Order: sequence, then C-alpha cells, then structure tokens
Amino acid sequence: MTDFNALLRLLSGNDVEFIIVGGAAATAHGSARLTLDLDIVYRRSTENITRLVDALRPIKPYLRGAPPGLPFDWGVQTIQKGLNFTLVTTLGALDLLGEIVGGGGYEQLRPDTIEVEIAGVNCLCLNLERLIAVKRAAGRPKDLEVVAELQQINDETRQ
Amino acid sequence: MPAMKDVDKVEGRTDLDPVVEAYKKDIDLTLIRENLRLTVDQRFQQLMKLQQFAEDLRHAGRKVRE
Repeated sequence: MTDFNALLRLLSGNDVEFIIVGGAAATAHGSARLTLDLDIVYRRSTENITRLVDALRPIKPYLRGAPPGLPFDWGVQTIQKGLNFTLVTTLGALDLLGEIVGGGGYEQLRPDTIEVEIAGVNCLCLNLERLIAVKRAAGRPKDLEVVAELQQINDETRQ
Repeated sequence: MPAMKDVDKVEGRTDLDPVVEAYKKDIDLTLIRENLRLTVDQRFQQLMKLQQFAEDLRHAGRKVRE
C-alpha cells in the first residue's frame, strides 16, 4: 500500500518542487479508479534533485521490480544520469518522472497546474485539461478508459 | 448500426474519438458525482482505504489458494 499522505508530506516538507500527475492526479480531480503508486514530475535542477535525494533517502528508494541485491546508488548523480525512475520505498510505490509523454518536464507543465491541499500540505497537481491531453498522448489502451472517465468529470464540472 | 451513430456523434468534436466515446458510456457517473462532492484531501483518504481493501482481498485470496 502506498502512503500518499506521508509521501506528499515528505516531499513538501523538504521543499522538493514537483507536480502530481498520473492516477493520483486523476484521483485529485475526482476519478473513482484505484491507483497504486504516486507519479510525480520533479524539477530537474541540481538544487531540486539534491533536495529530492535527501528527502527520499530515509525511505530507502529502490528500483521497483529489480532483483534484490542489485547495486543501486541512490544519489544526485544517479538521478542526473537517468530521467524516469519507478521506485519502491518504505512508504510505497513512487514514480519519479523527469518528463512525461505529451507533456514534457516540470517547466513545461508548471503553467498547467492547480494547487491542491492533501494531508495538510499544498501540492501542485496537473490540471484536468492537461491531464486529459497527456493521457491521450500516451495512447496506451489502458489510458483510453482513463481519458473517458476524465472527460466525464470535465463534463460534470462544467455543467 | 449503433457503431456508426457513435462515430457520427463525435465527428463534430475533434478532441474526442469513437473509442473514448464508447468507454464513456460505461463510466459510472454516480461514483464520479459522489467523488466530486468530496474535498481533494477526502478523495485521497478514500483512495488509501480502497488500496487497503484491495490488499486485504489479495491476502484473503492468497490464503484460499494456499
């Protein structure tokens, strides 16, 4: 189980710049679908990556699905050399995304965010229109059902 | 031919496609309306309860198979 409250408090409490995307963003907008991980787009500045690495170190990030014992050095260089990381932590599943298909990185997405309060912390979340756009751009079969639900939510909230 | 009608219906809206429209028919609007009445925070607390419930079901299923 993923402790969304604790993960968001940890990231915000360490001043990590991030945007909630994916299924968690859909939940924020009213989706009734079950999502098991927290997807965030993080800002790729050195300062932010340093904050991110320091914030997550206590919850022991490790590559999700990787065999136990595989060398994985959780550090600034690792994040800088990579882009997207699907992680398991002691607080649950966390996907760190440097970029998303159809959306780009933090700077590109930042104008299309809303501020939401979850577990007492204010976080940036991708707005509904952009979330629909990136889900459509991803184009995976499973995303089409999500797009349908998000469009229904959009229709409902516009009535 | 219902499928043709679906296609016709979305022709005027280029942001939609027939597949998404077909899926939309099966979306439970009552659940969405219930969720929209909640705060964002309440939606997340509900999500975590649902996760726990799913985990409990998986655990129960594993026990039955053992």
